[in-house]
Amino acid sequence: MLKIDNLHARIGDTEILKGLSLELGAGEVHAIMGPNGSGKSTLASILAGREDYEVTQGSISFDGVDLLELDATERAVAGIFLAFQYPVEIPGVSNINFLRTALNSIREQRAEEPLSGKDFLAKVKACAQLVELDGKLRDRSVNEGFSGGEKKRNEVFQMAMLEPKLAVLDETDSGLDIDALRIVAHGVNSMRGADRSFLVITHYQRLLDHIVPDFVHVLAGGRIVHSGGKELALELEEKGYDWIVDAEAAEQA
Amino acid sequence: MNEVATPTQHAALAARVSEACAAAGLVGEPQAEALEALEALDYPTTRQERWKYTRAARLLKVTPTASAPLQAPPVVVESLDALRFTFVAGQHISGETLDEGAEGCFVGPVSVALERYPERLKAWSNSAFATQEWFAALQASAPQDGVCILVPAGHKLQRPVLAHHHMPDGAHVAQPRHLVHIGDHASAEAVLWSDNTSHAEGMMNAAITASVGNGASLSLEIIQDEPGTVHHMGHHHFTQGSNSNLTVRTATACAHWLRNDLHILQDGTHADSTFHGCYLPNGDQFVDHHTRIDHAHPDGQSNELYKGLAADKSTAVFNGKIMVHKDAQRIEAYQSNRNLLLGEQAAMYAKPELEIYADDVRCSHGCTTGQFDKEALFYLRSRGMTETAANNLLVQAFLAEVLDGFRPEIRDHVHSVFARRLGWI
Repeated sequence: MLKIDNLHARIGDTEILKGLSLELGAGEVHAIMGPNGSGKSTLASILAGREDYEVTQGSISFDGVDLLELDATERAVAGIFLAFQYPVEIPGVSNINFLRTALNSIREQRAEEPLSGKDFLAKVKACAQLVELDGKLRDRSVNEGFSGGEKKRNEVFQMAMLEPKLAVLDETDSGLDIDALRIVAHGVNSMRGADRSFLVITHYQRLLDHIVPDFVHVLAGGRIVHSGGKELALELEEKGYDWIVDAEAAEQA
Repeated sequence: MNEVATPTQHAALAARVSEACAAAGLVGEPQAEALEALEALDYPTTRQERWKYTRAARLLKVTPTASAPLQAPPVVVESLDALRFTFVAGQHISGETLDEGAEGCFVGPVSVALERYPERLKAWSNSAFATQEWFAALQASAPQDGVCILVPAGHKLQRPVLAHHHMPDGAHVAQPRHLVHIGDHASAEAVLWSDNTSHAEGMMNAAITASVGNGASLSLEIIQDEPGTVHHMGHHHFTQGSNSNLTVRTATACAHWLRNDLHILQDGTHADSTFHGCYLPNGDQFVDHHTRIDHAHPDGQSNELYKGLAADKSTAVFNGKIMVHKDAQRIEAYQSNRNLLLGEQAAMYAKPELEIYADDVRCSHGCTTGQFDKEALFYLRSRGMTETAANNLLVQAFLAEVLDGFRPEIRDHVHSVFARRLGWI
C-alpha cells in the first residue's frame, strides 16, 4: 500500500531524512520509534504533504500513485490522514462545520454525492462515541480551549469520520494520561481492518501495549536502522536506543 | 508625498459639485454655517493628522457630467420585509411614505418630511461635522435627498427601514442626507444600503445625522457595496441621550476609495454604544474607517470592534478615538481592531487614540495586524479541503464576530461579496 524508497529530505539547509526506506502492506500496523531529532515527525509531515520540507531524492508510492506529485488536499482525498502531534486551534470555526466542509470537500473531489444532513449527524454521533467525545466539544470551535487529551481524542474522532486508508499518528500519546491513552487506543483499534494501515510514531512503548503493532522500526539519523516484531518495542524500552545505533554505526564502518 | 491643494482647485471642486447637485435637485436650504465653513476650512491633506494616510487630493479631479437618469436599480436583499425607499444619485425615486400625522411616526424621503413637518426637523438636523470637515461642509452646503425616520416618544417602529442609495453608470455626484430621530423610550431598526453599477464614477458624499432620545434604542446596519470607481465620503453622526442604546454596524463590502467618519456623542448618563465594522479592500482599493466616541457623561459603556482584510495592493486605515471627558466617571469603553494582510503589497494603518480625563474608568484597546495562519491552512487542507474551501472558512471565521451581528440575509450577502472578490466561490 505504501512504499517509501531511499527518501532524502531537508528543511532549509538541514538534511533530516537520509535514505529512509519502508514498506507497509494493507491492514498492517507499523510503529516507528527512535530518539529525539531522528526525523520521525518529519516523516509524518512529508507523508501529509507539508510544504516546508524539500524532498531531494527517493520516492513514495501510495497505492501505485506517486505521492510526491500530490498536494496536501489531494493526499487527503487519496486516503491519507495525519493525526497531528500539535492539533491547530481554529477560533470561529465549529468542529461540526469544519468536519462537514472537509467531508463534503473530499466527496466532491471523489465525484461522490454530499452526505445528507441526517447521515452526517448519525456518523458524527457514532464516531464521537468511539472516543467518548462530549457533545459540547463537537459544537465548540476546532480545538479552541481543548485540553491536551481532548485535542488528541478530537484527532481520532476526525480520523473515524474521514475513514482513511492510511492513518499516520504523530506522537498521539504525548500529553495523554492513562485513561485518555486507553480511549484513544480503543478508537484506533476499533478502526483496524484489512483495508486500513497505520503508521504509529511514538517515543514510548506504553502506547504499543494498547495499539499492538505488526512491525516495529527504529528511525535514527534519518534512516530506518533496525526492524522487528512487536517484541522489539519492549527491548527498546529496556535497553534504550544506543545499542542499535552503535551496532548500526559499527556495521557501516 | 505632500499634496498642495491651491484654493482655486478645491473652490472649483465645490462649485462643480454644488452646481451639479443643484441642477439635479437639493432638499431644504443649505446650512449657513456650512457655507461659511466651506470658505474657512482647509481642504484635507496628508499633513493633517486626521488625513495622514488618506489622500483626498484625488477627489479634486472629480468632474460630474450630465445628471443621472432616474431608473430603478435592482432590488437588494429581496427577502427582507422592510419599509423600502430607493434613491438614485441623491434623488428619491420610489418608496411609500409612512406618515402617522404630526404626533406619530414618519418614514419617508427627507424632501417630503421638510414639506410636511419642517418644525419637527429644526432642532437637531444640522450635521455637527459640517463645521469641522471640508467635505461635510460641502455636503451640508448642497444637501440632497435621503431617508428621514422620525419616531416620537414611546413609539416602536414595527418594521425595519431599508434605504437603498444607488449610483448609476457615469460620472455623477450625490450628496444624500439621512435624518433619524428616535424620541424618548422609542425604538427603530434601519438598514442603509449604498451600491453602484460597475461603471459608476464620481463622488458620493453622504451624511447621516441621528439622535437617540433618553431610554431609546436605534439599531442601524450600513452596507457599502460599491463596485466601479466612485469616491465615497461618509459623515455619520450620532447623539445619544441617557439610558439609550445605539448599535451601528458597518460592512464595507466593496469600495474603490472610501472614507467613513463615524462619531458618537454620549450626551447623557448610562448610555450604551456598540459599533462594529468590517472591510475587505482588494486590487488597489482604499478603505478608511475613522471612528470617535465621546463619553461626555458618567456610567456609559461602549463596545467597538472593527475587523478587516487587505488583499493584493490595497490599503486599509483604521483610526479609533475614545474621548472620556472630565467627570465622565465609571465609563467602560472597549475597542478592538484586528486585521489580516493577504497580499505582500497590501498595507494597513491602524491607530487607537485614547484620551481620558476622568480617573475612575475602565478602558481597553487592542490592535493587531497579521497574516493568515499557515498552520491552520495546512491543517484544513490535510483534512481534504481545497485551498479555496480552507481560505473561505478561515475568512468566514475571522469575520464572524462582526458579520454575525448583521441580519442573516445581509451577513450572507456581504460574505458572498467578499468570497467572490477573492475568487473563493
